[in-house]
Amino acid sequence: MADTAQPGPMAAHGHEGGTRRDFLSIAATAVAGVGAACAVWPLISSMNPARDTLAAGAPIDVDISKIQPGQQIIVLWRSRPIYIVNRTKAMQDIIKADKDAGSLRDPNSNANQQPPYAKNIFRSVKPEFLVLVGICTHLGCLPEFTPQAGGSLGPSWQGGYFCPCHGSKYDLSGRVFQNVPAPYNLPVPPYHFISDTQIRVGENPSDSTFDFNSIEQI
Amino acid sequence: MRRLAPTLIKGALIGAGLLLAPIVAQAQEETPLPRTSWSFDGPFGTYDRAAVQRGFQVYQSVCSNCHSLNLVTYDDLGPNGPGGGIGYSEDQVKGIAAEKEVTDGPNDQGEMFQRPARPSDHFVPPFPNDQANRAAHNGALPPDLSLIVKERAAGLGALPWSASGADYVYDILTGFKNPPPNEKLPDNSYYNEYFPGHHIAMPPPLADDTVSYSDGTKATTAQEAHDVVTFLTWAAEPTMEDRKRNGAKVLIFLVVLTGLLYAAKRKIWAGVH
Amino acid sequence: MAAPQSQNALVRWIDRRLPVFTFINHELNEYPTPKNLSYWWNFGSLAGIMLVIMMATGIFLAMEYTPNVNLAFDSVERIMRDVNWGWLIRYIHMNGASFFFIVVYIHIFRGLYYGSYKEPRELLWILGVIILLCMMATAFMGYVLPWGQMSYWGATVITNLFGAIPVVGNDIVTWLWGGFAVDNPTLNRFYALHYLMPFVILGVVGLHIMALHTNGSNNPLGIDRKGPQDSIPFHPYYTIKDSFGLGVFLIIFCIFVFYFPNALGDPQNYIRANPLQTPPEIVPEWYFLPFYAMLRSVPDILFIKAKLAGVLTMFGSIFLLFILPWLDTSPVRSARFRPVYKWWFWLLVIDVFALGAVGAHRPEGWWIVIGRFGTLYYYIHFLIVFPLLGIFERPLPLPTSISAAVTKGGGKLAGASAPMEKP
Repeated sequence: MADTAQPGPMAAHGHEGGTRRDFLSIAATAVAGVGAACAVWPLISSMNPARDTLAAGAPIDVDISKIQPGQQIIVLWRSRPIYIVNRTKAMQDIIKADKDAGSLRDPNSNANQQPPYAKNIFRSVKPEFLVLVGICTHLGCLPEFTPQAGGSLGPSWQGGYFCPCHGSKYDLSGRVFQNVPAPYNLPVPPYHFISDTQIRVGENPSDSTFDFNSIEQI
Repeated sequence: MRRLAPTLIKGALIGAGLLLAPIVAQAQEETPLPRTSWSFDGPFGTYDRAAVQRGFQVYQSVCSNCHSLNLVTYDDLGPNGPGGGIGYSEDQVKGIAAEKEVTDGPNDQGEMFQRPARPSDHFVPPFPNDQANRAAHNGALPPDLSLIVKERAAGLGALPWSASGADYVYDILTGFKNPPPNEKLPDNSYYNEYFPGHHIAMPPPLADDTVSYSDGTKATTAQEAHDVVTFLTWAAEPTMEDRKRNGAKVLIFLVVLTGLLYAAKRKIWAGVH
Repeated sequence: MAAPQSQNALVRWIDRRLPVFTFINHELNEYPTPKNLSYWWNFGSLAGIMLVIMMATGIFLAMEYTPNVNLAFDSVERIMRDVNWGWLIRYIHMNGASFFFIVVYIHIFRGLYYGSYKEPRELLWILGVIILLCMMATAFMGYVLPWGQMSYWGATVITNLFGAIPVVGNDIVTWLWGGFAVDNPTLNRFYALHYLMPFVILGVVGLHIMALHTNGSNNPLGIDRKGPQDSIPFHPYYTIKDSFGLGVFLIIFCIFVFYFPNALGDPQNYIRANPLQTPPEIVPEWYFLPFYAMLRSVPDILFIKAKLAGVLTMFGSIFLLFILPWLDTSPVRSARFRPVYKWWFWLLVIDVFALGAVGAHRPEGWWIVIGRFGTLYYYIHFLIVFPLLGIFERPLPLPTSISAAVTKGGGKLAGASAPMEKP
C-alpha cells in the first residue's frame, strides 16, 4: 500500500519500523555520507596552491655584490617586490642616531612585522643590507626609495621611503612615521646570508622558525 | 525466446570487440609487439625507484641530446614532486638542475643572459626551438618525450594482453637490426623491427655500456632500454602510484557501501515481492 | 494529496512561503511509481547523477584550464601533474563523458524496447532526444579543449562538414571558426559554449522530469497503472534501488578511472595539436563512432555529393528519433508482448555496434560494405519496420494489470551491471 512516510528527503525511515531495516538504512546513509564527503574533498583541495605555484614560491638566492652603496634593487619573491638596499655608513649612522624616534609609530618594531632576528634598530641581519617587502602597509602601493635628505619632503627628511599613493613615509629601516595613513612598519621577509655575496630570501636561518604568514600586515 | 536474446547480445558484443581490437593499429605491416613485464604493471604496480633513477641517467646522458622533456621540472624528481618524486633529495635536485643553463632576462640593461637552471625550471631542451632541432637532424624532429609512453599506447580496442606504450618504446629501442637483404634504406634512416614501416629516422641510441650506472648495475642495451622506459613512463604519469593506491581504497569502500545498499534494498522491498 | 503537516516549525515557515518541502514530499513520498520497474529503469537517475558529476568536476577543471592554443595543452598537463588531485578530477571528467553516454544509450534503448516513447510520453521522448543532441554538442566541444592532435583534427573535420550546406555552407564554417581554420578564436568560443551547454542540459532535464511526472513512469509490461495496487511510493523503494544501482555503477566507473583511465580514449590526443601534421587516423570518441560510420558510408547519390549526403544521413538519423513516436504504429508498448518486434530490436542493437566498429576503421574493403548496409538498415528499421510491424504483428495478450501480472516484480539483477564493454 502506498503509505506516506514522514517528509524529508532521503530520511530512509521505514513505515513499519523494523529495527534491522532502520539500522541498515541508517548505516548505509552514514557510509554514503562519508563517501560523499571524501569525494568532495579532492575538489576543494584542488583549489589550494598547486605544486608548481608552491615551487615558484621557493626561496630565491640574490647576488648582493653588485648593489652599489646607497642603491636599492628589487627582486620578486612569491610575486611580491622585495627591496634590498646596500646602506652606506652615513645611512647607518643616521639610523644609529635615531633622531626621528619620537615621530615614528613603532620605533622599537613591537608589532609582528619582522622575524625575531631582524628586530633591531636596523631591522635587518646585518646593518649594511636592508631587506624589506616593498608593499605599503596602508593599501598596497610600492613605496619609492627616497634616500636623499631634504628635498621636497622637507629639511628634516633624513632619507627613507615615500609612498606616492597616499603620502605614507618610512625611515631608512622601513619604520613608519606617525601622522601618515600606513599603520605598520614595512614587513621584513625571512632571509639569511648564505655567503658574503648571496642572500637567500624566503628562508629563515637554521635556528629560526619564523612564519612569515603570521605578520600583521603584508 | 527470452534466453536467445541475451545470447545474441553476447555474440554481438564479442564480435564487436574482436572487430575493434586492432584499430588505430601501429603499423601497416604489423609486426606483433613483444611485451615485457614492468614494475608498474597491474593494479598494484609501482615505479621501481632504482630503475627510474637509472633511466633518468640514461635520459640525461643519451636521449636529452636530441629529445626534450618539457613537461617535467627538476623539482619533480625530488620529494616535492608529483607522487613524491623519484627518490632524489632536494640538494641532489639542485645539483642536477644547476648542471644546465637557461636563458633568462631581460636584465636591467635589456639583455637576455644565461643562468644555471633552478629546480623550478622545466627540463632544459637540447635546442631553443623545433626548427633548430630539425635543422640538426636532416629535417626530422625528435619528439618531446614527456608523454611518449602515453602517446604510443594501443588505444581503443586494446585488450588486456595488448602491448602498452611502454612495450612499444622498449621494442623500438631494442628493435634495431640489420635490414633484410635487398632492402634499400632511404637516406638518414635506420632499420627497426617494430617501427611502423621499419624505417626510423633515429639512429640506434643505446648499446651495451653506453651509460655506466652509478649503482653498478650492468648496462646492457636491454637494461638501459628497460630503465629509460621505466623513467619515461614515470615522466608521462608521475601520479600513477597515487592513482592505484586511491583506487584500491575507493573500490573497497564502494564494495562495502554497495553491499550495505543491497541489503537495505532487499529489506525494504521484502514486502513488495 | 495535501502534505502532512511537519512537526518542525521552521519547515512549516519555509513551506508556507516557498513550498519546497511539500514539493519534495509530493515528488518523493506520494508520487506513485509502478511497482514492477526493473533495473533497466535505474539508468535515468544514473544519467542525472553523471550530469552532476560532470558539472562538478568540470567547474574545478575550469579553474585551472587556459583556453589559448599556446597554453591549453600545458594547462591540462599542469592539472595532471601539479594541481592537488588534478589527475583524479581530470580522469573522472574524461571517463565520465564516456560513462554518461553509456548510461544514456542504455536509457534510450530501454525506451525503444518498452515503448516508453508512445502516447502519452511523446514529449518526454522528444525532450530526451534534445538532451542527447545537447550532450553530443557539449562532448564534441569539450574534446577540443585539451588541444591534442585529435582535438584539433576532429574539430577540423566536423566543422568542415557544415561546408556541405549549399550556398551558405562556407560562410557558416568561417563563422563557426572565427577565422580561416580551427584556431584560437575557435578554441575560446568552444570553451565558453562547453561551459554553457551543461546548464542548458540541466534545464531540459528539468523539463524532461516534469514531463515524466505528469503521467508517471512506463514499466516493463507497458500497461498503464490502474490504481494504487499497481504502485508504490518512489521513496523509499526506488530511492534505495537507485542508490544500490548507483553503487554498482560507481564500482565499474571507478575501475576505469583508477585502473584503466585511458582505455576509452585516443592516445594521439596526448600529442600536442599540430596543424601541419594530420594523424594517420582521425577517429572521434567511441560514442560518436556509429554516426561517424553513417557519415562516411554514403556515396554520391543522384545530384547530391557524398559529403552533403553523408551529413544529411548522419543528422537524419537523429531526426528520425524525433518523429519516432509517430513512426511506430503498434498499439502495444512493451516488446515483452511483441514477439516479432523483439527480434528487430536486437537487430538494431547489433546494427549500432557494427556501425561503431565501422566508424573505428578506415573506410576500405569490407568496412565500406558493412557501413552501407548498416546505415541502410538503421533507416529501414525506423522508416519501414516500425510502421509495418504495428500493422502486421500480432501481439501477445496483455496482462489485465500490473499487480495481477507481478509475481517476482520483474527485475533482473544483472541489469545495472550489463554491457559496460561498449567499445
